[in-house]
This record gives sequence, structure tokens and C-alpha cells, in this order.
Amino acid sequence: MPAMRIRLDPWPVDFEGGQLGLNPFGGQLIDIETARWAAIAPRAIPERLSTVYVVDGKPRMESRVFIEDTHGEAGMGGFGAFVVGAVKLCPHGSRPAELSDVVASRVLAHAPGLRLDPCELSPRDPHTGRLHYPPVAAASGDPLAPQHKVQALMLDAEQELSHRYASAVPLDEHDDREPLSTLTLQDGTLRRSGVSLGGAVVGYVKTMQTQYLPPDRVGLLGTLKPGERTPIMHLTSETGKSTRFTWYVRLCDAAFYQHPMSGVMRLEMYAPDDPDFLPPAVRAVANASGALLLRLGSKAHKDPRAPQNLIPTAALEHAMTRAMGSPELVTRRIRAHIAQTFGPEAVA
Amino acid sequence: MTSSRIGMVLGTEDVTPTVFWFAVTNGASVQLDDLVTVQTTRPDGRAVTFYGLVDNVRKRHEGVTFESDVEDVVSGVLPASVSYAARVLVTRVDPEHFIPPQPGDAVRHATGDALHMALSADKMKEAAFPAGLLADGQALPLNFRFVNGESGGHINISGISGVATKTSYALFLLHSIFRSGVMDRVSAASGGQMAGSAGGRAIIFNVKGEDLLFLDQPNRRLDEKERAAQADKGLTADRYTLMNLPRTPFRDTQFLAPPRPGSVSGQITPHTDQRAQGVTPFVFTLREFCERRMLPFVFSDAGSSLNLGFVIGNVEEKLARLAQGQTGPGLTVEDWTPEEGDVPLEELSFTEVGGITLRTFEQLVSYLEFKLLEEREGEGDPKWVLKQSPGTLRAFTRRLRGVQKHLGPLIRGDLTPTEADRYRPNLLRGAQLSVVDIHNLSGPAQMFVVGVLLREVFEHKERHGRQDTVFVVLDELNKYAPRDEGSPIKDILLEIAERGRSLGIILIGAQQTASEVERRIVSNAAIRVVGRLDLAEAERPEYRFLPQSFRARAGILQPGTMLVSQPDVPNPVLVNYPFPAWATRKDEVDDLGGKTAVEAGEDWLR
Repeated sequence: MPAMRIRLDPWPVDFEGGQLGLNPFGGQLIDIETARWAAIAPRAIPERLSTVYVVDGKPRMESRVFIEDTHGEAGMGGFGAFVVGAVKLCPHGSRPAELSDVVASRVLAHAPGLRLDPCELSPRDPHTGRLHYPPVAAASGDPLAPQHKVQALMLDAEQELSHRYASAVPLDEHDDREPLSTLTLQDGTLRRSGVSLGGAVVGYVKTMQTQYLPPDRVGLLGTLKPGERTPIMHLTSETGKSTRFTWYVRLCDAAFYQHPMSGVMRLEMYAPDDPDFLPPAVRAVANASGALLLRLGSKAHKDPRAPQNLIPTAALEHAMTRAMGSPELVTRRIRAHIAQTFGPEAVA
Repeated sequence: MTSSRIGMVLGTEDVTPTVFWFAVTNGASVQLDDLVTVQTTRPDGRAVTFYGLVDNVRKRHEGVTFESDVEDVVSGVLPASVSYAARVLVTRVDPEHFIPPQPGDAVRHATGDALHMALSADKMKEAAFPAGLLADGQALPLNFRFVNGESGGHINISGISGVATKTSYALFLLHSIFRSGVMDRVSAASGGQMAGSAGGRAIIFNVKGEDLLFLDQPNRRLDEKERAAQADKGLTADRYTLMNLPRTPFRDTQFLAPPRPGSVSGQITPHTDQRAQGVTPFVFTLREFCERRMLPFVFSDAGSSLNLGFVIGNVEEKLARLAQGQTGPGLTVEDWTPEEGDVPLEELSFTEVGGITLRTFEQLVSYLEFKLLEEREGEGDPKWVLKQSPGTLRAFTRRLRGVQKHLGPLIRGDLTPTEADRYRPNLLRGAQLSVVDIHNLSGPAQMFVVGVLLREVFEHKERHGRQDTVFVVLDELNKYAPRDEGSPIKDILLEIAERGRSLGIILIGAQQTASEVERRIVSNAAIRVVGRLDLAEAERPEYRFLPQSFRARAGILQPGTMLVSQPDVPNPVLVNYPFPAWATRKDEVDDLGGKTAVEAGEDWLR
């Protein structure tokens, strides 16, 4: 009988769910690269891959509001902001990394059916710029709907940005000449179901909330060495709506007190529904992913979610928070705006 | 203000009317000591301009938190930018509205008029004279009214020997004062109250080597050195031209040196090794020694004992009375009956009435021994002894015997009256620049010469007023006016420091460590200059006039660079000054008068 053993989830307890969730997966998994389930050593990053973008986004609800429009309709809404941006870097380390397109947008999300004017918050000090909140209708009157709207807008913007940067991936076996020169790493799953926008965009999933692998295959994840990956698989979701190429990579050795999958990360790329063709570009990305992520992985003393939270992502998150401005100052501006526009006199 | 923007005032550090930081614009370069200007607009639309000096510059990675992040940044993984910022110490606010500049205000280099405002040169007007070059090759104006005693006086220079080149800087300042025309301009502006450079005099005591005996000779290495400096600093012209000063050695000079010991009578030759021509030996006659009360300067440590001071005062008085009405270099006494064997009688000259004329310092000491200890069977002359204990009297004569060897060649009674006249040191009626070489003298003799000559200058100026300005350059102030002990020479220096400014005597004093010099002397100097300092020394309270960043830098200053502080500008300014146009060693003397060997040869052939 095996001895009892307890090992730690590496992430701090205030991250909901932790790194490991292990919900069983009900979808379909097909070996597309090879049927031999064994570790594949990392290859060097190809010379022609000259640019890697790391893309992320961040939503923020600044104030929940109750709105009455001029036609007597009323509903819930919220002042929200979101930001997307990227870090542009050279995978060969020949250029300094730089922030790219870190731009914040603001919206006044509201329950559907209200007619609103854009809100313009002018500052007390002319130095500090204006805040512009165009109205956007949320999907429903639910109090959480405005927040979801802001999130959805952010995801769209993130997606748009990822694909704008990336080289195209030919999903056709007759066309393999397209060079893979620019790759986008996107924080989280690729989210948008079904459609492929056609770019070399890799979603990297830091957590393992779902256990995609059957029990006889999970063992390999614990034995991968840093940089090694599993073979690529073709994955169809439970609903059958989305299909992905996916593989696992190990970024660092797990400490003895952590669970054996603590340094492992799942990557995914768009895949066509038809599971019999593996585009060479996808295989090239998978081959280079170990070497690339080893370079980008963070260290535990710098980031509580290391190594999965990549160094550029951490820097990008910092820049994005900054781009949205101080939440205290924005909330104060909103309050001042309301006092100025609809103050006690306006009610009377 | 035409210069382009080099940065913007930072909003992430406190902005105050006296200190602020600015972010340096990408592509601009700002270094320590750059002078900058910022204009801000008040809410009522009026502009306030700040002038200041960069005293700190720093670069750092912005947006990263960990020190090891630098590796990720350099390897291209972590985005970060380099922030380059500079701190400004404000030297002037015009008009004087002490509001802070606004974050985001443009910072520019101060040049031309802005530079003049930054250094308060507009307040100095005709009294400005160049005191060296700023980092960007512009001349630093110094206010002569704070040198000549009008608003303040005296210059004090501190720094380690050898690397701080204090004497070189003092000489450069003298050159600038005499040759920039500032004395004449100030004199003209005063409507003839002041004498101008024609009446100006300088006295330099040469305490080290024979460095200062060639000030009237051109320096052979000048051209080469200045060319190198010009190329090195990227200047548009050589440093003398930039400051509008002539590249010539000192004019109108005299060199005085003590006589070589051992030449008993007849030939009196200066005690110098490298230069023989043009150096005048100086001696004091025995009668003058008594008449003009030079005795106290023999005792540099008189302050240590009250009784001894009493004896000195009494003997000084008695000798002065004796000398009264006498003529000639010797001192005639009538009551000495020297014992056989004590003083060889053949060396004494007897007068007709039985008196003895003392001809050497040694004889004077013997006479004093007789008067104090031997007369009346060992009791001494009661009028001279004045009931002092024999112990004190013996201490007095013992000390005299101790310095006799050193002072013998300087104080003599065996000269002819013509010789005495010729060799009497004449500092104020002779040349514009007098160099008194005392480096070959022993310590007590140096103290004696400096004390006697300074007192003479002081008494002369007390009689004649401040019309002509006399600059006294004295190195090693810590020896002549130490903080803890009293001495007659320290009293004279204190008089000069405290009253000299109103009499037109300006002390250009230098020392290695200002902390060891009498505080009242250093604190009376309006202009303070610091060269390379020992870092521990730089932290002493005497250097509080330097902001902390300057104190740290004083430890790395190179020869030829000085920090200059003047009352008009609240912060010290770093200057470099040119290579001397005058020779500072024999091997620097330009024998060919500035010509090449071929040109000089042609002159001879003609």
C-alpha cells in the first residue's frame, strides 16, 4: 500500500482555485502529432522567429451606478475601464523588450434600453486630462451585466490585438511556405469559441483547472524535465463548439513539497475541426515553446505565480494598471462629476 | 533664453524653490556642475525664473522592482526604460518669489545672460573678475568687492598638499586680479577712492622648495599644456583667451631670500640654490631688532607660560629703550663686563667711553644672559629681572640660545649702514609682487620672518589707510595660526583677518585642513575655495558651506580643479583654472622667451 503524502499547491491561497483544480474533462482528445506518449525535448528557437508579443488585458469596474434617463427609464450600470497591451520582445534577446499599445478605454456600461449621453469628466487641474465614458449597453439588466460587458469588451480588444500582431498560420496542407516570423503569446485560453482568426497566437494557461489527460497519461506531466513538452493533441470541447491544438510544457522543476505538476503549463493554438492535419507552423511553435518559456518564466521570489506568470506579463500588468490611472483618483473624479452635474441643487 | 530644452521638472520628487529634480530628455546629456534655468508662470501670468546648478545626476531602470531584473531587461525579456534625472540646487530666483517650479516646466542650459543671472554676475557689474572656467567652458565671475574688503575680504583655500595645488590657484587669482583690469574698473567706479592695480601689491611667502622664484619667467610647457586641455575639454579657445587674461608671467616682481648662513662679514648672498640672479637677500639689523620690538616673534610659543610672556615683554621694552637714539646696525651697551672666556673679547668692539657695540645676535643673547642672570653676582639687574624666578629667566635665555643659530644670519649688527639699507626687506614700496622665500629657514626663523614682516605691513597700512590693497599669500596657516595655541604671529594674523579688510590688507590664506586653523581666521574669509580634501576632513564643520554632495566630491577633485564659494552665489561652483603662464620650477623656465630654438638662433646671428 503506498504511503500517504501531502504536497502543496504552489500558488498563494488568495488566488481563487489555486493552480491545480483537476476537474474531469468530458470532451474529445486525439493524438495528432504522434501516438507515442513520451516527453519531447525542446528545440532551439528558429532564427526566422524574430518577434514575440506577449498580450494581456485587464478590466476594472470603477463605480456601480443607478441611472435614470431623460425618458424616465431606469436601470443599473457602471463606470468601467479596460486596458489591453503587449510586450514586444525578441526571442533571441537581441533587442530590449518594449511595451506596445498599452491603451486604456473607458465605458459607461448600462442596462439595455436606456438612452444616455457620453459622460465627460473634466479635471480640477487642467494638466491631468479628461476622462471620456461613452455609453455601452450590457446584455441584460442583471446587476453584474455591466461588469461582464466590460470584461467582454476587453477580451475582444485583446483578441484583436493578438491577431493583428501575429503571422498567419496556414491551415492547409498545400501551403507551408508561410514563414513563422511573429508569434503572439496570450495570457489565458483563446476564449473565442469556434472561429480561428488565423494568426500564430498561443494561449498559455497557467492553471490546471481541468484535467484533460486520461489517468494513464497524467504521469508524464510529473516526469517532464524543464523545457520538455508532451506531444501535441487535438482537443474538442465538451460542447463540440471549439477545437484546439494543445500540449503541456514544464517551466521549472517542482520543489519536493509541491505537487508534481506545479511547474507545468498548458499551451493551445487554434485548430480546425478536422483532426487529421497538423500545420507545420503549430509544430514549430510547439518545438520552440520550451526554450521560449524557459526564458520568459519568472522566479518565485519575484512573483507569487512563478514561473507560470511570465516576466513580460508581470511587467505588462503593472503598466496596464498604471494606464488606467489611480482607482482612488478616478472614483473621486466620478464623485466630483456627479456632485457638479447633479448636485443637491439639481435635485431640488 | 534660446538654448533648447534638456529636461522637464519631475513631479514624482518634491519640487521646492531651492532643490528640485528634472528628468533629462532623451538624447540630452547633463553632468554635474551644469548651470540650468527654469521658467515657471504664476497664476497671475507673471514669470519667475529659477537658476541653479546640477549637483547630482542619476540613471535607473524604471518600472522594475528587483535588482536582478537588470539581467531580464538586458536580455530583452522585461520591458523597462532608463530614467535619467538630475538634481538642481537653486542659486537664484528672479524675481524673488519663492514658489516651487511646476512639474513639467522645461529645463534649459544657462548660457549668456541666463548664466550671468545664475552666477549673480549682473550684481557684480564692473567688480567681476574671472576665477576659472566652469565645466562648459564659460568663465566663473568672482566679485572683487568681496575680495578687496569693500563688502567682504580675504580668501581661504583648503586642500591636501600636492593634489589640491592651493598656491597655484592663489597665484592664478592674483594674476586675474592684477591683469583682468578689475582693480582699475572698481577704482574708476569708486571715483578715485581706490588706487587700482597700480597701487595694488602682493606679498607671497614661499614655504616650499624654490617653486615661486621663477614667477617672472614664462613657462615653457604652457603652450603644450593649454593645447591639450583645450582639446580634452572641447573648448573653443585656450583657457586664458576664454577668460580674457594675458598669457604672460608676473610683471614687476622682486624676490627676497634670507642670506646664506656662514658668511660672517663682507659678502651677503641669498640662500637659494636654483636662482642666483635677481634675488635680494634680506637681513634685519640688531638695532632694528631692538628698536622695532621684534623679540616677541622669536618666541612662537610664548602663550604657553604667563611668566615667560612677562619676561619677554619686559626685555622687549628694555631693549627698545636701549636702542632709542642709537644709529648704525649694531647696539651699543655700556654696562656689560663680559667674563673672560665667555665671549671672545676680540670679537667685541669697544666704544670710546667704555661701552661695547654688539655686532651679532649671539652677543645680544650673551648680553641678555648677563643682565638677567649674572650681574650682581648672579642676581641679575633688578630692573631687568623684575623679581621673576631664576627658573623663568633661564627658560627665557635657554630658548634664545636655542634659536640663536637660526636667527644669527638674519639679525646682524656687522653691516655697513649702506648694506643695512640695501638689504632691509622692502615690501610695500618696491615691486608689485614680492616673493619672500623662507623655505630654507628653520621653523622658528620662518615664524620670525613672517611675523615681523606681516606686522610691518599691518603697521604701515594702519598709518596709510586702505587706498592701496595689499594681498598677502600665506600657505600653512595651521602652522602660523593653529586653533589651540596662541603666538605673536597668530595675533597678527587675527588682526589682519578681523581688521585688515578695512585697512586694505587681504589675506589669501591656505592650509591643508581648515579644521586646524584658528576659527576666526577661516570664518572671516568671504571667498572660500576647496581643492581635494581628505573625506574625513570634508565632514568637519568648517566645510558646512559645501552641500553634502560637494563634500563627497571634494575627495575626488583633480589638480587644477577647485570648488569656489562666494557670498553672491549660495552654492559653491566647480572651476578649473589654466596651467600657469609663469614657471613654477627651474626646468619650466622658457629660456628662449617663447620662441623656438631656430627663431632665437636667428636673433643671435643678426
